[in-house]
Order: sequence, then structure tokens, then C-alpha cells
Amino acid sequence: MSASIESSTALGAPGFDSETWDTSTVDSPAINIERQTMDVDIACVGFGPAMGGFLTTLTRTLSENPTDPAFESKAMPGMPLQVLCYERADDISSGVSGVVTRGLAIRSSFPDLNPAEIPMAADVKRERVLYLLDPVGASRRSALLRLGDSLLGLGGKLVGLKDHAFELPWTPAFLNKHGGLVLSIGQLNQWVGSQLMASGMVQIWPGSPVAGPLLTDRKVEGVRLADQGVDRAGAPADGFMAGMDVRAQLTVVADGPVGAVGQALDQKLGLPEGHARREWALGMKMVIELPEDSTLEPGTVWHTFGYPEPEIFGFLYVHPDRLVSVGIFVPSWMSDPSRTAYRYLQHYIQHPALWPYLKDGTLRSWGAKSLEESGKHGEPFLSGDGFARIGENSGSTNMLTGSGVDEAWATGTQLAEAVIELLRAGKPFTKENLAATYETRRRASWVEQGAEEAQNARNGFQGGIVQGMIGMALAGLTGGRFSLGGHIPPAHKQIAHSQGGLKLKDAAALALADGRPLHDALLTARGWPEIPFDGRLLITQQDALLLGGKVQAMPGFADHVAFRDPSLCIACPEKTCIAMCSGQALTWGEDGVPAFEREKCIHCGACLWNCGQSPDGEHSNVEFRAGAGGLHSAEN
Amino acid sequence: MESILVLTHADETGSALNNASLEAVTAGLELASRLNAQLAIGIVAADATALSKCLPSEGARLLAVSGEAFAQARYATDAAACEALCRAVQPTIVLAPASSRFTRVAASVAHRLGGFIDTHISSIGGTDRVEATRWFYRQRVEAAISRDARPWFLLLDAGTYAAFAGATGTAQVEQVPVELPALRTMVSGFRAPTQGAQTIRPDAKMLFVAGAGWTKKQPDGQVHATEAGELIVGFLAATGASLGSSKSLVDQGGEGNSVLPFLTHLNQIGQTGSTPRHAKGLSTCCHGEEPHVVGWRFIGDRRAISLDPNCGWTRGKADVVYVADAFEVIAKVNALLGAAKA
Amino acid sequence: MPNALHIVVCAGIVPDPLQTLEPVTTAAGPGLKNEMVLPAVLDPWASSALYEAASLTTKNPGSRVWLVSLGPKAKLQAVMMTIAQKVAFELVPIDGPIGGFPEAHSTAAVLAETIAALPGLDRSHLLLFGGWESATRGAGVTLQLVGEILGIADQFQGVDQIDLREDGSFEVLERVEGGKHQVSVCAGTPAVLGWATGGLAEPRNNPQIGMANMRTIMPALQKAKVAKLEANGLSYVSVSLPKQQRTTRVVKDLSPDEIARELVEWIGAE
Repeated sequence: MSASIESSTALGAPGFDSETWDTSTVDSPAINIERQTMDVDIACVGFGPAMGGFLTTLTRTLSENPTDPAFESKAMPGMPLQVLCYERADDISSGVSGVVTRGLAIRSSFPDLNPAEIPMAADVKRERVLYLLDPVGASRRSALLRLGDSLLGLGGKLVGLKDHAFELPWTPAFLNKHGGLVLSIGQLNQWVGSQLMASGMVQIWPGSPVAGPLLTDRKVEGVRLADQGVDRAGAPADGFMAGMDVRAQLTVVADGPVGAVGQALDQKLGLPEGHARREWALGMKMVIELPEDSTLEPGTVWHTFGYPEPEIFGFLYVHPDRLVSVGIFVPSWMSDPSRTAYRYLQHYIQHPALWPYLKDGTLRSWGAKSLEESGKHGEPFLSGDGFARIGENSGSTNMLTGSGVDEAWATGTQLAEAVIELLRAGKPFTKENLAATYETRRRASWVEQGAEEAQNARNGFQGGIVQGMIGMALAGLTGGRFSLGGHIPPAHKQIAHSQGGLKLKDAAALALADGRPLHDALLTARGWPEIPFDGRLLITQQDALLLGGKVQAMPGFADHVAFRDPSLCIACPEKTCIAMCSGQALTWGEDGVPAFEREKCIHCGACLWNCGQSPDGEHSNVEFRAGAGGLHSAEN
Repeated sequence: MESILVLTHADETGSALNNASLEAVTAGLELASRLNAQLAIGIVAADATALSKCLPSEGARLLAVSGEAFAQARYATDAAACEALCRAVQPTIVLAPASSRFTRVAASVAHRLGGFIDTHISSIGGTDRVEATRWFYRQRVEAAISRDARPWFLLLDAGTYAAFAGATGTAQVEQVPVELPALRTMVSGFRAPTQGAQTIRPDAKMLFVAGAGWTKKQPDGQVHATEAGELIVGFLAATGASLGSSKSLVDQGGEGNSVLPFLTHLNQIGQTGSTPRHAKGLSTCCHGEEPHVVGWRFIGDRRAISLDPNCGWTRGKADVVYVADAFEVIAKVNALLGAAKA
Repeated sequence: MPNALHIVVCAGIVPDPLQTLEPVTTAAGPGLKNEMVLPAVLDPWASSALYEAASLTTKNPGSRVWLVSLGPKAKLQAVMMTIAQKVAFELVPIDGPIGGFPEAHSTAAVLAETIAALPGLDRSHLLLFGGWESATRGAGVTLQLVGEILGIADQFQGVDQIDLREDGSFEVLERVEGGKHQVSVCAGTPAVLGWATGGLAEPRNNPQIGMANMRTIMPALQKAKVAKLEANGLSYVSVSLPKQQRTTRVVKDLSPDEIARELVEWIGAE
């Protein structure tokens, strides 16, 4: 039996149905489009750890008794439940990151889990927290920090200073990942996804960006896939195929921090009173194959802070087979308008505490992603009529413990249990029913407890690194009972519009002289040494894209980065979006509006929150839509 | 003891052996000498007797399959011809050029003889036994292989041996009869790419590689595809170079971008394109890593014009890289070449 | 339906061309480092063959397309997720080794045996499609051998175009030296066509095609037969990355005029 098919005609720009989309900022011709429709039972958006948890739990129950009438499809009577998952990346293993996780929820789903079954997975063996001093002298450190650094320097070996790094004598309990796992999420996804597909109970389709939800009033009735065969502006071109409307009784939204469906729901439904998404970070890292004589044991985990800038945290995770993930987090509270990630990553790996281990290594992979760090502050409506949200886009990441994968997986399993309960009871996926089953489970779980403890843990960072660390320690050591207060402004306001010592003139001269990007020149002008390129680990950003990211964009999709109000871009002096663009996909445009090259975009989403302008006082001037392509590495 | 048969065929004119065949003859002579093996050379052509005059006058038995049916390349006739030559000689090793004509049939002939085939051979060595070198993964991995089973067919990539240029012209040619199957395929001729003039010139001294940078926005914020096209065509006309291109550039046709009208997928070099052999190569506006750069694996002297001296096309891959704007440089080069001709 | 075709597309899976490849020696012979970890795609040229097959099928009602693919079952499943939304086909998976190093004659024998046993296949209407080479072994012989074993007397390699005529005959354009095409007319099926790029763009993802395909793909994968490939006397003496590191002279400070003069001199030099 084939899927039930009907055609609908919508008047509007491709991909943006005028009934369900705010079309005011979309500059596309209005045309009549024949749009096909397909009915399924559950439409899922985004395949990551949250969806892995959801589908693993769901398909296990479905497989136990496939003929159970409770699990008969309503969309296709006589068939089993029709569950489809759409993932925008070209492969379910592409474009995600390596992590260390306590792995409680994952181990709960796989009680007999043997990490050796998952490539690049290892049990956590040893954890260290390192405070990195600045061996270069270019870091923007406060007088207080400099004083502390001097004292540590004077103490030298007596206080345990080695290679310009001071190791904390213990790892705070809230950071501790003892008993956990070092993972490549790309490989975890592939491992989970292949089992799910083999079950025959679910279909997962990569390379299928979802443009947005089908929203009627406040009810989600499915999703609309992105149009194909369009030009960069989204207008029909060669081989045009209007994105299909996939109608479903339940839409499971797990499209991450910058997903189009999650964003559209936030925009249309608003966030709960007092909630806002304002805290972000960009994680950027390299996967390096260490030399054969490497002494780093699989399962080794280092957390670092203090370098290359005080605001930038770093990490090093050792996988089996001499592979290591090493990278940094650049947070939205780093107010520097010229903040950037790639150049800092190059300085980070050269720190004397790291470089001796890495210098003879080979680059295997490189990538970056945005992290939604608002936690409870940014939690959206977890469910509503016809939809439920899980994982990072549901605000599940715990920024006190620095843990997101486990929480995401747990929220997926909680939703699956709720869905099974509702199916067995023959109840529809209404707001009330999902609240009574999914939200109740989530609120009663360790995910919620952790989220509450972490809720105000990072407020202090708005006042600087020292205040932030004190606030984090306070919340961490008291289980969230005490924390520092603090107002968190919208992301665009966290970018300082003027900052001393920018050395813009020097940088501009340098950039003009050798054609390098301005933000790169800025770091040089501020005293950061030039990167001694060696073609191996010390490489240009473009070569990182080619060697490590292997970036590709399928033709036929519209640009997924657009600017809501070009006049704001023209007036914007900082253009932080360009400095923070991981792939150099955004460059200075001749008319003052940044130029976007889809072929270089790795879909990290940094531009969305690294924009100093806002048309509405809350959201940035960047529109980040659904798009295909991006990283082609499974080792991230 | 090994016995070697070299298979050769006529070029398009029918009046000479093609160059790749003469290269295979050199390989056969070398191998026979090294192994102290018997050597035979087989010709497939409409008039093989005339072509035998291009071949060694001694040291090899010459055989031929002749007739109008062999004037053109066609699976059924060529396979039958090669099979007949092999059955007449009963060789243990068969060498043949990896021309389009023999690439079409060699595997099937090996199968008919109960033998085995390896292709894209770039050298034949070994002391105790025959070892052949060939490429895997589109010229990204190199392997030396050997086979115990015989007959062993080896298809030689063009340009790996010098064309035979020894004493020719006196040996007798044995005609080998062939029984042809009923022919269901008729060859009606050749067709050049429909778009513009021929830009692929395998015999050119130089390969000019045009990268996607030619159709990207230039410093003035505009795309100058028309000017890019004129500069490239001008350079090709002035130098007689062959044109290679990156996948990203030839793929642009489907996306509604400004494209260079004379480019087709046939121009594509690299991972999913060709790896042509030329003495010199000049890459312009190229940026890429290993998968793309294999496009000039077999280019002798390599230079590049690029704004990024650290790019994968240049660092460690080119002999010289000029950090400059290719639009400006090629315009000057064309002017100088034009002035020199005038 | 005089032109109802039975098209069998032989298509292997290969590492995504963007990946870094490094040979290693395994217990089973040479292989690639992290071979099972590297993302895989359907072989690029065989993909052209598949899209051309689908296009012919839509123009010739009553036609069928089988996709015969040999590779590790888990990898085949992953690749199906990226191509099953593009065109309709019946998957015939063979669970076997991955990569370019298994022996071609042995691979061809398994493929031919599988095709000969396909239920419903009318060999008089057969067009055997595939890539003219693979992006792994790159030998360009497997398809020929399959055709030869199946007794097909008309073969074409490096095909960029096929035009089917009403009488069942077809014109084929094959790539030959010098950037040209040889034009042939074949009286009709059966025939072997090893495709180069072809003339079709990659089809768009169509969820309905995907959904329909998956109903047959997953059961087929579960029933995939296991193939063991023989070495046929082939042995690997060495497998390595080519060492072609050059010392690059970086010229930074010359004007376009000076560069042009240097280049013209270089171009003219023997």
C-alpha cells in the first residue's frame, strides 16, 4: 500500500506558506505551488541523541508485538505505526560533535553497552581540570587575573605549575564524568541509527531539511520539507520540487539549538513567561590522530580554562586508536565584538600544556556547533497540540555540569514512554495528554532536577570570568541552592559596541596588505603571534574546511542564512557574524550586507547569535533557516 | 617460462598504430628481455600489413587480424579479434594499451581465455616474479600486485612507457582468421562536445586547470564570468593547452549560476574526473584538497596562481605558486603571448 | 509495450570522495583505515547509471529497475538512506566485503550469478548498467565480466547518452580519446552500458519514492545473501599512499606583469 497522497495549493513564497509563516521578511516572488501531501503517524525532525533515545525506546516496544492493535497506523490503516524522521545533514553521522558524558540515560537504554562496539567510544578513565596561563602575552586578562597568574608563576613547580598550566587538585563533583563515556556523536548516531533502520519500524532520511511546522492556530499538524530545485533566493529554478507537506498526528521536534522548526515554534507560540534564549556558545574542535608513541590513554579527559582568552573554556578527550578531540568554547558573554573561534583554536592547540602531545599528530576532522546554554531560562513550551520537543532545542542542556547528550537522550526516552502510554490508551496527542505524560515524566526526572540546580549557575559570567567562576562554584557546590544574581541581556546586547584596544586601524591596514579577514588581522594587531602554518595541524581556516570539515552543499536548495533588515547590517560597525563564522561563509559584502556562500557553511548557527543588531529588541538580524549540506565527517 | 603477447590497434586514421599501442610495445620488449620470454605482437586493424611497418623488425612474432569489420572500435568485433590473437599465441602474459578501444573488450577476452585482468597499470617490475603497479581509489592509493594465475592481462595506462621507436619494417605478419558473430552494433562515427570548440587536447604539452574561483565574486563584489571565459579561451588559443576543470565548476550549470559555456563534464579532472598526463600544468583559481588535487597527479612541472599560498593545490603539490589575482596575470600572459605571435 | 526494459544496475558503495583515505593491512588483506567508519556513498558513476535507468523507466512504461549492490550490509543500509528517496528501484543486496581491494573476477562472478537468478528478469529485455569504473578499484572490468558471463554480445563503456528508438534499437554515445564521443547504434537489448557522467542531474529527494522503496529495501537487506570472494591468485606486494610532496616555491612579491613574463618564459621552455 502506498502513502495517501493529495495535492494542495498554497499561495505564498516557496517554503513559506502564508498561513503559517511570517512572510514579511522573505524576499521571494509569490507564486502558486502544487504541493504534495503525505500522511504519517509520527513525523520526527532532526536525528541526534534526543531522537536516538526517542526512537530506540519507541521501536523496541513496537517490535515486541508489531501486530498490537494499539500500534496500528491511523494514517495508513492496516499498517504498523508510520514513523518518519527527517535529518537535514547529508548523513546521520555528519556535522555533530565529540563529547564526554556521564552516559546515564544511554547506559539505561543499553544496559550491556560495550563501548568497543561504538567506534571512538571509551570509558572515562582520568579527568583533569587545568587553568592555562598565557604563554604568549596577548590574552585580554584583567588586572586581577594577571596578579593571580603572577603569583602562580612565582610559586612555579612548588604549586604544581607545569607547562604554563596549573592543575586543580581535584575535579569538582558537578564537573566529574566518572563512570561516563567519551564519544563521537557522529559514530553514536551511526550506531544507533543503523539499529533503528534495521528494525524496519522507522525510516530515517538524511539530506532532508525541514522548512518548518505546519501550524494551524497553535496546533502542529506536521512539517513542510524544504523546497528543492530553487535558486539562492528560494525561487523555483531547474528541477523545481516543492517541499512536501508531511502531515502527522505527532511531530517530534529535536532539531537542535538552531533548527528551523524549533525556531518557528518559538516565534509563533512564544516562550513561557519570563523565558528567553540569550545564552550561547560556539564549540569548535579538531579530531587529531596522535603519533604512535603517544602516552595519552583512551578515556583521558581534560577540561581547561584561562587561555586563549579568560572567557574561553577548552577540552581534550582521548578516544581509542590514538584519536583525540581537542577544542574550545567561545561564549556569547565574551563581549569582544571581534570574537572569533578558528584563530583562537589554532592558538589553543599550541599551548605548551597541549602542543607536545599534539604536534606530531594528523588532522582527521574539524567542526563546530552552537550550544544553547540558556537551560531553564530558555526552556520553550515542551509540548502542545500535536507536538513535543526534546533534546537541546527543548532547553535540556545542563550548563553547570557541561552535559547535554545524556539529558537529550533522557528526554527522548521520556517522550517515547509517554507516546507508548497514549497509544495504548487510545488517546490523541493533545496538549493536555502530552503534558500529563511527557512533561510529567520529565519534571519528575533527574534532568529537571539538574536543570533547576543549574538554572542560575552561570549568571555571574555577565560580570566577568572571575565572578562567573565564583557563581558556578557556588551553585555547583550547593546543589543550586545558592547562586549569584544577574541580568542576562539578549545575545545581541552582550556584544560590546565599543571596546578599548581593538586596534581597528592597524588591523585594517594588515587586512588590506595581505587580503586576510579583518578579525584575523585584529588578533595579529593585538599582539597574537602569526600562526606558523605547517599544512598539518596549523592550517588556514579554508584548509580546515577542506582537510577536516570536508564541506559540501547540494545544489538546488535556497540560501539558509539571510538578513532580516539589510539596513541594520549596513549600519553595523562590528559585523561579529563574519568574525565568528566557522566556515568563512560570511564575508564582507560590497553593499555593507555580509555576503553568504552556502558552499562553505557548516551549519554551526553561530551567525544567529553573533549579530549585534536586532530588529525587535530580542532576536538578532540573522535568519537561520533549514538548509542541506555542511560537514561530511563522521568522526566528529 | 613466460610468453608475452602485446595487443595493438590502429589509430583513428587507420594508417598508423596509435601512440598508446606503441607504448605497450616498448613495455613488451622490456618485459620480454627481462624475463627472457617469447614476445608476440598482435595488430587489430582494417589493414594490418601496413601498420606492421611501425613495429620491431626482429625479436617479436607479428600477428594480425585484418578486415573492414575492424576499421572501427566495437565490442563484438574487437573482442573476437583479440580472442583469436590470444588463442593463436597462447601467451601467459598479455599487454595492451588502456585505450578506450581495448578497455572496452580486454576483460571479456581475459575471461574467454580463462585468464585474469588488471588495469590502469603504471609500471611493471619485479625480479623473481612479475609485479605490476596500479592505482586504487582514483589515484589516491598506489599498490604493487602480482598474480599466480595465467594468462594474465595487463592494461597499461597511456604515458607510462615511451612509444616504441626502434628499428622497424621487415618482419612478416601472420594473418589470424576470425569468425565473427552476427553484428548488432553499427558505429556511425564520432561526435565532439556540442558546446563550443574542443578544449580537451590529450597531446598538448600543458594542462590549464580552471577552478571555481573564476566564477566567484571578485574583489569588486561582482562575478565576471564572461571576462573569465574570454581569458581562459584566449589562453588556450595562444598556448594550445588542454583545459581541465574542478567538479565544483563543471557542476555549476545546474544551479543557474554564470558558467563558462565551453566547459562540460568531460573537462572535469580529479576524484570523479580524469587524471590526464601532460608535461606542464598551470592551475588557476583552484582550491581543494586530496580528492581534487589528484586531477594533476600525472602532471610534470606544476605551477599555480592562487591568492592562498597554503591551499591544497599549491603547498607541497605545485613547484611554484604565484600569490596573485589570476584575472590580472592571465590577461597579461595573453597579451604577451599575442604580442609574441604578432 | 515494445520497449519495456529490464534494467539491472550494478553499483558498489565507495567512501564519500571528500574523505581522507589511508591504506592499512588487515587480516583479510589491504584495506582502508577506519573503513567502516568513513561515510559511504553510491559509486558516483554507478549513480549516473541508476539515474539514467530511472529516467528510461519513466519513458518506457512497464520497465523495471533492479539495483544490485555488493558490500557490507550495514553500509548498504546507510547508503540506501541517501539514495532511496531519489529514484524507484528494487534492491538486490549482497553482503560482502567493502572497498577496492577484493578481486574483480570474483566480484563479477557473484554479481552475474545473482542477476541470472533474479525472479522475473527477462534477459532478452535486459540492459545491464553500471559505472564504467568504480571509485574504489577503478578497474573498469567488473561490468564487462558480468556481461560476458551472462553472454551479452554488445557492450559500451564510458557512456554519456542513450537514445532509445521506437523499434527497440538505441543510439549510444561513448567517451573516447580527445574529448570526443563515439556514436553507435545497437539493434536492441540485451546490452551492457558502463556509464560515465551521463546527462542527468542528481534527482531531488522525493519522500514518497523513499517511503515506497523502503518497504522492499529493508526486507531485502534482511535476506541479503552472503558472498565470499576468492583471490584468484591475486596478491598485494605493497599498498601505500603516493609520495608526491614537492618543494613549493612561493612567489609573493612579483607584480602581475612580472609573473606574466615569468610564466610566458616557462610556457615556451622545453
